Amino acid sequence: MADMMLSLLLFTPLVGAILALFMAGEKSKYARWVALIFSVIPLAISLVVLTSYDMVAGGTQFLEQYTWIETAFLKMQYILGVDGLSLIMVFLTSILVFLVVLFSWEEKERPNFFFALILGMETGLLGVFMAADYFLFFIFWEVALIPMYFLINIWGGPRRHYAAIKFFIYTHVASLIMLIGIFAMAFGAASILGVSQLNFAFDTISGVGFSSTFQILVFGLLFFGFAVKMPMVPFHTWLPDAHVEAPTAGSVLLAGVMLKMGSYGLIRICLDALPDGAVAWQIPMIIIALVSIIYGALACIAQRDLKKMVAFSSINHMGMVLLGVATLSDVGIAAGAFLMFAHGLITAVLFMVCGITGHNLGTRQIPLLGGLAAKMPNYAAFMMFGFMASLGLPGLVGFVGEFTVLSSFYDWALAEGMVWLIILGLLSLLLTAGYYLWAMQRSIFGPLTDRIDTSKVNDVNIFEGISLAALCGLIALFGIFPALAWDLIFPVASDIAAVLVGVI
Amino acid sequence: MSLPDFTLIAPQLIVLVTALIIPALYFLTKNDKVVGLVSISGVLLSGAYLAWMIIDGVSGDFLSVYAVDDFSLLLTGLFLTVVFLVLLSSLNTVERDHHHGEYYALLLTATSGMMFVACAQDLIGLFVGLELTSMSSYALVAFRKNDPRAAEAATKYLVIGGLSTAMTLYGFSLLYGMTQSTMFVDIAAAIGSAPTAGLMISMALIIAGLGFKVTTVPFHMWAPDVYEGAVTPISTFLAVGSKKMGFVALFKVFLVGFIAAQATVVTDMQYIFAALAAITMTLGNVVALSQTNIKRMLAYSSIAQAGYLLIVLAVATPYALTGGILHMITHVFMKGGAFIIVAALAYVAVGERIDDYKGLARRAPLVAFSMSIFLFSLAGVPPLAGFVSKFVLFSSGVGEPGAALSGEWVWLIFLAVINSAISLYYYARVVKYMYVDEGETSERIKVPVPFMIAILICLVAVIGIGLFPEPLISLCESAAAALMN
Repeated sequence: MADMMLSLLLFTPLVGAILALFMAGEKSKYARWVALIFSVIPLAISLVVLTSYDMVAGGTQFLEQYTWIETAFLKMQYILGVDGLSLIMVFLTSILVFLVVLFSWEEKERPNFFFALILGMETGLLGVFMAADYFLFFIFWEVALIPMYFLINIWGGPRRHYAAIKFFIYTHVASLIMLIGIFAMAFGAASILGVSQLNFAFDTISGVGFSSTFQILVFGLLFFGFAVKMPMVPFHTWLPDAHVEAPTAGSVLLAGVMLKMGSYGLIRICLDALPDGAVAWQIPMIIIALVSIIYGALACIAQRDLKKMVAFSSINHMGMVLLGVATLSDVGIAAGAFLMFAHGLITAVLFMVCGITGHNLGTRQIPLLGGLAAKMPNYAAFMMFGFMASLGLPGLVGFVGEFTVLSSFYDWALAEGMVWLIILGLLSLLLTAGYYLWAMQRSIFGPLTDRIDTSKVNDVNIFEGISLAALCGLIALFGIFPALAWDLIFPVASDIAAVLVGVI
Repeated sequence: MSLPDFTLIAPQLIVLVTALIIPALYFLTKNDKVVGLVSISGVLLSGAYLAWMIIDGVSGDFLSVYAVDDFSLLLTGLFLTVVFLVLLSSLNTVERDHHHGEYYALLLTATSGMMFVACAQDLIGLFVGLELTSMSSYALVAFRKNDPRAAEAATKYLVIGGLSTAMTLYGFSLLYGMTQSTMFVDIAAAIGSAPTAGLMISMALIIAGLGFKVTTVPFHMWAPDVYEGAVTPISTFLAVGSKKMGFVALFKVFLVGFIAAQATVVTDMQYIFAALAAITMTLGNVVALSQTNIKRMLAYSSIAQAGYLLIVLAVATPYALTGGILHMITHVFMKGGAFIIVAALAYVAVGERIDDYKGLARRAPLVAFSMSIFLFSLAGVPPLAGFVSKFVLFSSGVGEPGAALSGEWVWLIFLAVINSAISLYYYARVVKYMYVDEGETSERIKVPVPFMIAILICLVAVIGIGLFPEPLISLCESAAAALMN
C-alpha cells in the first residue's frame, strides 16, 4: 500500500471526475457528493503522506518508478516522488480543491460537468508537483489546462469566451516553448552521456554537466514557460482576463495553485538542472520580479473591480516569490516557496470573498459598495482577515513569507553593493497596504451604500462560511507556527542553493 | 529459375481479387450492403494476413521491384486501416446512391495502388501505384455525378492531378536518364557522379509533382474544394489515405534515393523542404482560422499537418522518419475520426457549417466527446496520440539522439510549435460550439451503427496510442531503420 500511495493520491480525483461526468440529467444533484468524497480522499491521503514523511532522512520519498515507454530512441518513465517542496504544494492543492468543492456546493448549472472538471484538474495539478520525469511532468502540466478552459468558458462572466481562449492559447504557447527547452535538455544529456536513447528522468538530466552557453539558452526557454504561468510582467496580460471572468472555483484554483506551477517549475527544474543558467539570468530575474511587484501594486490601486484588484495583487505577490527565488540563496528560495504556499491560502480567501460579493450583491465595483460591515458582518470579517493576511500582518502566514523574502533580498543587495534596491521592495509593502486598506475602507466601512439595493442581501452561507473559516484557520496556524511548512521546504532549498553556490 | 514467393504479396492479391469480385457480385445481387460487407471482409482478411506477416517478421523481395520489409508492412497496414474506416463510414453514406459496385471496387483498387507504393523499390513501381490510386480517386470524387459541386471538384482534381502526374513522370525520366537505373538503391549509388544541374531540375519536378499529392503550398489549392465537393468518406480517403501515399513516395525518392547518396545536392534539398514545411504549416493553419465549413477547416488543417510531415524531409534522420511515420499513423485516427464524424452527422442531417455543431454535446454526447478528443489530439494536447507523435516529430528537429547538438533546425521547430498553438484556436472553437453554446434544437441524434464502430475504433486508438505508445513507436523505429538503411 505504502509504495503506491502517490499513485492512489493522483488517480483518486480522476476516478471521481469520471464518475461525476456520468451523473447527467436527474442524477446530477448527486455529483456534488461524488466530488466531496473524491476530494476528501486525496486530502486524507496527502495528510497521511505529510505526516509519515521522514523529515530526518529528507530527500525524495514515496518513490514510485516504472518504465512507461522504452524504445531504441526514447525512454519515458512513470516516476512519482515527493520531497518537502512537493509535499507542501500537494497539501495546498488537495485542501484547496476540497474547500472549493464545499464552496461551490450550491452550483446549479451542469453540476456534474463542473465537479468533474475540478476533480480532473486536481489530477493534473497533483501530477505536476509529484512527477520526476519531464515527459510525465509536461503531460500533467498540459492536462491541468483543459479543465480550466471549460470552467472559464461555461461558468465564467460576460467576456468568458474571449478570456478562456486567450488563457488557453497564451499558456499553451508558453508550455510549448518550455517543451523545446525540455527537448534540448534531453538531447543534450544523451549527447553528453554518449547514448542514443533519450531519457527524460529528472535524475538523468540534472547534474549531467551541460555547457554554460547551453544552460543559458535553455534556461531562457524554460524561464519563459514558467514566467508566463506565474505570470510575470510583461507576460501577464492573460491573467486579469482569466481571473475576472472565471467562476470563483476557477479563480481560486487558478490563483491558488496553477500560478504556483510556474514558480515550482522554476525552482524544481531551472535552478536544479541549469545552475549556470540561473546565475547568468539572476539580474534579469530580479529586474522582472521588481517590475512585477511595483507594476502589480500600482495596477491594484487603479482597479475599480474588486476581483480585478485581487487578480493584479497575484502579480504583485508572485513577483515577490520570484524575488526570493532569484536571490539564489537557501533562505531566499525557501522564502519564495513559503510565500507560494502562503499566497495559495490567502488568495483563495480573497477570491471567495470576491465571489460572494459578485454573487450576493450583483456587483463587484468598489465605488458602488460601502458600509457592508453592518449588513454582512461575517462577510466583512472574512474580507478583512484576508486583506490583512495578504498585506502581511504579523502573526499571519503572509508576513512570514514576505518578511523572509525581503530579508534574503536585503542580504543579496548588501552583498552586491546595491542596498538602495531594498527601497523598491519596501515600497511595494507600502503600496500593498495602501490598496487593501483603501479598498476595505470604501467597501465595508463607512455609511451603508445607497447605490445598490442591499435590502435583500444575505450574508455568507454555511458552505461558504465553512470553507472560508477553514482557510482562515490555516492562515493563522501557519502564521503562528511557520516552522510546520518551513522545515519541509528549507532542506530542499538548501540542497538546491548548495549547487548554485558551487557555480557562483 | 524458381517461381517467386507469392505469399509475400498475399495481402495485395486479396485486395485486388476482392476488387475484381465486387462488380460481378453487384451485378448479381444489386444489393449495396452485400458488396459493402464483402469489401470489408476482403480488407479484414488482407489485414489479418498482414498482421501475421508483421508478427512473424516476414521479409523479402518479390521480383526485385516489390519489397516486403518492416517499412512496407507497417505502411501497408496503415493503408488497410484507412480503407477499413472509409468502408465502414461508406455503408450508410452511399446507400441512397447508385453504382455501388463501382464505388467499392474503385476504393479497393485505389487501396491496392497505395499498398504498391508502400512496397515499391523502383520508380516504375512507384509511378504505377501512384497512378492506380489517382485514377481510381478521380472517379470516386465524381461519384455523385449529378451534384454540381462533386462534378466541379472532380474536374479540378483530374486536371491538377494530370498536371502533377506529368511533372512527376518527367522528373522520374530525367533521373533515370542520369543514373541509368530505376531502382532507388542504384540511383543513390549513381547520384554522386551525376551532373548537379540536371539533378536539380529533376528534383524540382518531382517535388512539384508529388507536392500536389501531399498538398504542399503552393500546390495545395485543389484540396479544400475537392474535400468539400466529394462524398465525405472519399474526402476522408483523400486526406488520410492518398496524401500519406504521396508522403511515402517522397520518402522513398528523397530519403532512399537522394539522402543515402550523401551528395552536396542533399543539403540544398533539405533547405527547400524546410522552406516548404514552414510555408505549408503556416498557411494551412492561418487560413483554417477563418473557415466556416467544417470540411474546409479540416482540409486546411490537413494542409498544415502536411507541413509538419515535411519536417521529416528537412531534418532527414532516422529519428525524424520515426516521428513522421508515427504522425502519419496517429493522423489517420484523429483526422479520420473527425471526418467520419462529419460524415455521420451529415447522414443524420446536421449541416457541414461549423455553426451547425452548436449544442452537439447535449444532442449526441458520445459523438461530441469523440470529436473533442480528435480535435484536441490534432492540436497536440497530451495525453492523446497526436501529442505523442508531435512530440517525437518536433523533437527530431532539436537534435539527433546521441549526436552532438547542432541546432540547425530549431527555428523550424519554433515555427511548428507556434503553429501548433495557432491551430488550437480553431480546434478549440469547434469544441466550444459543441459544449458551451446552445443549439437551435436539442433533439437527440441517433448515429447508425457502422459509423459508431468506426468512430469508436478511432477513439480507442487515439486514447490508447496516447497512453501506451511504446509498441507503435518501436514499430515505427524499425520501419524507419528499414527504409533508411
